[in-house]
Amino acid sequence: MNFKNSTSQTQHEKEIDISTNSGLPPKVAALSPTEWLKANLFSNAFNSVLTVVSTAAILLIIRGLLSFIFNPLRQWSATATNMRLLMTQAYPEHQYARIWVSLGFLLFLTGISLAFWRAGRSVQLSQVGKRLLAIGAFILLATLLAPFSIRATIIWLIVGAFIVGIGLLLNPLHEDKAISSLTLLSGVFLLAILSLWVVPYGHHSYLSTRTPKILAEPGTVAMTTKLPWTIMFVVAVSSYFLGTFIREKIDETRSKAALSVSWLISPLFLLFLVLRDPDFDTGHLFSTDIPIFLFFSIVGSVLLLWLTKPDIGEKGRVISAAILFIGFATFLFQMLMIVRILTLVLAFFALAAPTFSGQKPARIRYTKVWIASLVILCWLITAINTPSTAKVPGDFFIGGFAITLMIFFFTMVLAFPLGVLLALARTSKFPIFRMISTTFIEFIRGVPLITILIFFSVMVPLFLPDGMDLTEIAAVTIAFIIFEAAYLAENVRGGLQSVTRGQHEAAEAVGMTNSQKTFFIVLPQALRVAIPPMVGQIIATFKETGLLAIIGIFDFLYIARSVIPGQTQYMGSTRENLLFVSLVYLVICFSMSKASQRVEKRVGLGER
Amino acid sequence: MSENETKSSIREDRDLANAQDIIVCEGVSKWFGDFQALNNVTATIKEQEVVVVLGPSGSGKSTWIRCINRLEQHQEGRIMVDGVELSNDLRNIEKVRSEVGMVFQMFNLFPHLTVRDNISLAPIWVRKKPRAEAEEQASSLLERVGIPEQADKFPGQLSGGQQQRVAIARALAMEPKIMLFDEPTSALDPEMIKEVLDVMKELALSGMTMMVVTHEMGFAKEVADKIMFMEGGQIVETGTPEHFFTNPTEERTKLFLSQIL
Repeated sequence: MNFKNSTSQTQHEKEIDISTNSGLPPKVAALSPTEWLKANLFSNAFNSVLTVVSTAAILLIIRGLLSFIFNPLRQWSATATNMRLLMTQAYPEHQYARIWVSLGFLLFLTGISLAFWRAGRSVQLSQVGKRLLAIGAFILLATLLAPFSIRATIIWLIVGAFIVGIGLLLNPLHEDKAISSLTLLSGVFLLAILSLWVVPYGHHSYLSTRTPKILAEPGTVAMTTKLPWTIMFVVAVSSYFLGTFIREKIDETRSKAALSVSWLISPLFLLFLVLRDPDFDTGHLFSTDIPIFLFFSIVGSVLLLWLTKPDIGEKGRVISAAILFIGFATFLFQMLMIVRILTLVLAFFALAAPTFSGQKPARIRYTKVWIASLVILCWLITAINTPSTAKVPGDFFIGGFAITLMIFFFTMVLAFPLGVLLALARTSKFPIFRMISTTFIEFIRGVPLITILIFFSVMVPLFLPDGMDLTEIAAVTIAFIIFEAAYLAENVRGGLQSVTRGQHEAAEAVGMTNSQKTFFIVLPQALRVAIPPMVGQIIATFKETGLLAIIGIFDFLYIARSVIPGQTQYMGSTRENLLFVSLVYLVICFSMSKASQRVEKRVGLGER
Repeated sequence: MSENETKSSIREDRDLANAQDIIVCEGVSKWFGDFQALNNVTATIKEQEVVVVLGPSGSGKSTWIRCINRLEQHQEGRIMVDGVELSNDLRNIEKVRSEVGMVFQMFNLFPHLTVRDNISLAPIWVRKKPRAEAEEQASSLLERVGIPEQADKFPGQLSGGQQQRVAIARALAMEPKIMLFDEPTSALDPEMIKEVLDVMKELALSGMTMMVVTHEMGFAKEVADKIMFMEGGQIVETGTPEHFFTNPTEERTKLFLSQIL
């Protein structure tokens, strides 16, 4: 550039400069580290004192925690050896492949879903470098604080320095250099899994022979841990690539719908068919279960095809009401529970028929939904009623973290529709619905959860009529469902109130019936608004499953708190186990809350 | 151009004197608490007629128009729409509402649905049309209101004028016999008012029965067959635009006109 020679050129260049800059905000110069410290931590005397005091407090806490964790007296082998007990309680060892198959299937679904929903965002490598710098620096600091032996100190210092080194390498990279957050995540998992094969974490195993024997030897972790986890990793990664491969080839909206349904159904399928391994009785199956299914599918389909005719009018409502009445009446007579349940479900489908009525394709679609729900219901009820082949002490075939997850899943899946119904009833025009729902919600919200749990686990089984019995797990799950439904209902009601009067009027003005208005216009908007409080509620529910320990169900917390410290070798290991349990809860709740933030962004909350 | 001519010829071919009454109100009264919003309103509107309702704010114009598809319930008198009396019997309401299109001041589009779904939702679920047919109709209606390229956008991405035109298309998708407009341009920026009024004019030319509450005097002068002036919940004066704007009989009408013109 020789702008000294020609002024006109200078002016010309200036103009270009202005025109290119005009669309962008002016750049703010980055603060130097000293300036940053001054502006953010030592801006005045009071803040300086606060900074010094809180830094000291944080350092003390870290030192205390580290000296607890790395104290040679800690029995971390108690947690490591009993990992299987913590996760699944006494699930039979020779059937353990079922657990891995189930987990593998869920990871498979996860991989495919991540691909279809195009999850993950691009992360600048320089940002990753900054993170690594911070992590490495923290490790260095913590190592110097912790009361390690000299050897351990040196190892940790090397680790910290290594991470800082990588951070320093990545940090100055240009902001164009970016990788997907998924690549980053799978890289981290890959490192963790490789370390299972290399790093001598210690070989812990619990041999459940006639006299249980606990082994804790030095070396890498047991083959029964590292091999399955490696396979799980491969499954997850390869299903992601499978997903990216097939998503181009098939209709995306449809496959997304299919994936969502599989997410709802597969836990049931895995739990009751894979894990529980029911011992189906072929005779009973062909003499009772299949005939019942066929009867309901044929009669129901014919009925629903007729009821969804656009011009059915009042006749349809009368008939639906009659079926509902019959459904309730079946409880007065001795008969199979499955018949009662199916009659009630059919009645609800019949009542909803006018809302979804239409031309032939719409009617056939509605009938298909009915048959699909029937298949799932019949199969589920049959599976639950069939004895399990998994021989396990105690009255349920699985425990530990698995039962925590299971009860959480059932609670969420069933409490959500119940909560929506309660919220709709509470805002309904009919005083009787409003009254029932309000009383229910206020009653449940006025009673501590633990009271409801104890009531259901102890009292409710006594109140049941003859011939009906409820396992403790089922009773407790119902307790959770009604409790969470009451709270969810209030969240949904908040959402319902946020839908403006204009929306109601617009829906009414085009002639929609009340249920069409609710289903197509009001609920979709209300639920979107209710996402943040509902996620909060879901996280709270997950943590509340810890209360299961108090009523003596062998959940995650109970095993950590009472079962493991009861083993002769590991008496007094409660604190270690509790710390581990808190870590697991923390990781899961934190990721749920992060995921919900992404979902909020996706549905455009606060934008549209 | 030729299209417009055929349409205006529809309008000129009308025989309003012999047309059937499609909306009949007899002695309609309504109170909000102690406040009387409508006081003994009696009027008839004939098929294919365009009626503009004028009046100062709070005069009951909106309340009246909202009574006609029963978004508000009148407490005294009778309202007959296309031969059906509006009463507490719920079965009539949905039938009447699907015959009467309504356009609101605040558009009230469904924000969670695309423009196309906004228009085709009611035909599919209320009129029970096959989806493909309803979506095709949505496209042709969007063409008619001049925004065919916006079909896949969400309402929040459109300008006010475009939203109001979508709202008109949504009402038209039900193939109504009557269109009610409740101050359709009051929430719009001035530069967008014309695009909405143009659509309404085109609709009037095509022979639609329309009842319009508005403050757009130009529109009233140009398009209306009949102007009704309301104040204090009553219809004070009814007449043709010429009569109304040049030679009103009532003092209150003169006062109103002197304030706005």
